[in-house]
Amino acid sequence: MAPPATSGPVSVGIANLPNQRHKIVSRKGASYNIMVVGESGLGKTTFINTLFTALMRDYKRPEQRFAKQLDRTVQIDVVRADIEEKGFNVRLSVIDTPGFGDYANNTDCWVPIVQFLDEQHQHILNHETVPNRKTDDLRVHACLYFIQPTGHTLKPLDIEVMKQLCTRVNLIPVIAKADTITPADMLAFKDRIRDCISTHNIQVFTPAVHSEDEDATRRNTSILAAMPFSVIASENDVQVNGQTVRGRQYLWGVAEVENEAHCDFKKLRNLLIRTHMHDLITSTHEHHYETHRVAKLTASGRSDDDPALQARRGFEAKMKEEEAELRKKFTEQVRLEENRFRQWEQKLISERDRLNEDLDKQHSLVKQLEEELEEIIAARKR
Amino acid sequence: MASSGASFKSGGARRKATKKGLIFTVMIVGASGCGKSTFINTLCENPVILRKDHADAEKAAQLKTVGLAPTTVELDEDGLKLSLTVVDTPGFGDNINNEPAFEDILGYIEHQYEEILAQESRIKRNPRFQDNRVHVLLYFIQPSGHSLREMDIEFMRLLGARVNVIPVIGKADSMTPQELNAFKKRIMEDISHYKIPIYDFPYDEEEDDEETIEENNELRGLLPFSVIGSEDEVVINGRRVRCRQYPWGVVEVDNSKHCDFSKLRYMLLSSHLHDLKDITHDVLYETWRTEKLSKEGHQDDDSGEEQ
Repeated sequence: MAPPATSGPVSVGIANLPNQRHKIVSRKGASYNIMVVGESGLGKTTFINTLFTALMRDYKRPEQRFAKQLDRTVQIDVVRADIEEKGFNVRLSVIDTPGFGDYANNTDCWVPIVQFLDEQHQHILNHETVPNRKTDDLRVHACLYFIQPTGHTLKPLDIEVMKQLCTRVNLIPVIAKADTITPADMLAFKDRIRDCISTHNIQVFTPAVHSEDEDATRRNTSILAAMPFSVIASENDVQVNGQTVRGRQYLWGVAEVENEAHCDFKKLRNLLIRTHMHDLITSTHEHHYETHRVAKLTASGRSDDDPALQARRGFEAKMKEEEAELRKKFTEQVRLEENRFRQWEQKLISERDRLNEDLDKQHSLVKQLEEELEEIIAARKR
Repeated sequence: MASSGASFKSGGARRKATKKGLIFTVMIVGASGCGKSTFINTLCENPVILRKDHADAEKAAQLKTVGLAPTTVELDEDGLKLSLTVVDTPGFGDNINNEPAFEDILGYIEHQYEEILAQESRIKRNPRFQDNRVHVLLYFIQPSGHSLREMDIEFMRLLGARVNVIPVIGKADSMTPQELNAFKKRIMEDISHYKIPIYDFPYDEEEDDEETIEENNELRGLLPFSVIGSEDEVVINGRRVRCRQYPWGVVEVDNSKHCDFSKLRYMLLSSHLHDLKDITHDVLYETWRTEKLSKEGHQDDDSGEEQ
């Protein structure tokens, strides 16, 4: 018999799985949906154009504003683009919300946004049981909420909307037009916002801090410490010390977009694209979508069991009941019959006894007669 | 439009007022965080309005009513004593629904008119009565860079009929010069499109002299005024400058190339102060008075007929 094969440290090739996955993902590309929410004039469109260094969205045209200025509606605008970098494709969708928070009476202005988010989750949920499952995935992976740079604290509208959004999507608060606030004021402002957020239990997106890589951990901690991110956006290039940078040219200096001392744009860009893009996409699917799914399904009365199983269990229970009943009836009948037999038995016994008695009597009579006969024979013989 | 008992129009009364010191009331309205309180403090060169306490996070979500808090400051403008009353409106525009705030502010202004009307109609007038009418309302527009918002349009339209409204762009250091010019142009377009009544430095072609006409035109061209406020002073090149310090530069409040603050201050407290007061008394108050009395006049007639 041959000796058994030794199972020592032989590499089978399982460690190659991440590489395979990398190839599959880079071939398939990714679908990335970002939503920007905030009052008009906070620099949302500029920010998106700066983030992707491409003119994603046209600026609102001022000549056309008279038609809609007093409209009092909130709309949802979706802009799609396909971005390609080093062979990797991303189907990007940017969802804008013009009209949000722009009016004197802003009650319920968040309702269209919340409805949109829920509809996307519901759309995917409905498609789970349809034969052809390929569908457009417009679930929002990251929602950037633009806070006005008042320098004070969050407004009631901000708090209400963030509460509604944080349970449905990865919410990232952003301080817009950060070049309005001096550095000292900015720190105090961020502190107050963080305070507000924790007091009102708003779950903003917090990236996992610890990872195996030292660098990554350090990066994540710095990202976490900078939230909410202060942002300056510009698509114009200006000259600073002979270098061309993106920034805003004022009479008193240039506020640079990519300068870490001026604003947190770089950190936010890293979070959205370079380091946590995958995290955002998967957490949308694993956390927010699941929450929605569970809520919807329990609301419609389904529990964790398979319906067939449940039906069978119900059936079984019924069967058991019937069985018990039949058994009772059976026992009852048996008892009755036994009684009858016993009585019959008794009767037979008494009959037998009687007959036995008769027989005995006859026997004794016969004996008597025999004896008499014997006597008579004996008497004759004498 | 004869005004009975117009105590401020005649020259004698004006001289008396000058000796006592002028009275001027300014109301400042605008969404929270536009730089109103800082502006007031910069204007009065004194920390008149204290910094709000924003540390309470719980309060941030609560419904706020508009506070109307007048504060009086004694100023000395070129030897002229001025008793400046500033009415700040904290809480305006902070709530989710801001329409009730409009009524509150309009009510305050009309209340001052009612007091004057009541005083005028007394048999024995109180000589020491204080005129609390609001002479000018500075409306702070948020530096969005786009155009006027629905709230701005509705509010200015509502109040322009009762008080001199001057639109002002707060926190103007968030816009580059080109953006600021385009923004100003669009706001003026909006104002003319929606026919919003504002104080636009009116002048009379025939009566006023060349200088006045030119000055008014220039100021009209600067509308809406861009304003930057700061209470911090820094020493730059040996002189004390009020400014805001950023990592990329220093913005000076009094530098007319950086913002229109100094021009606005001069206009408000020196050159156009009397004009604003006159218009308040002669035009706005009279309009209100006519409307109010004609309404009551009708009621009187009805009750007379009933009797």
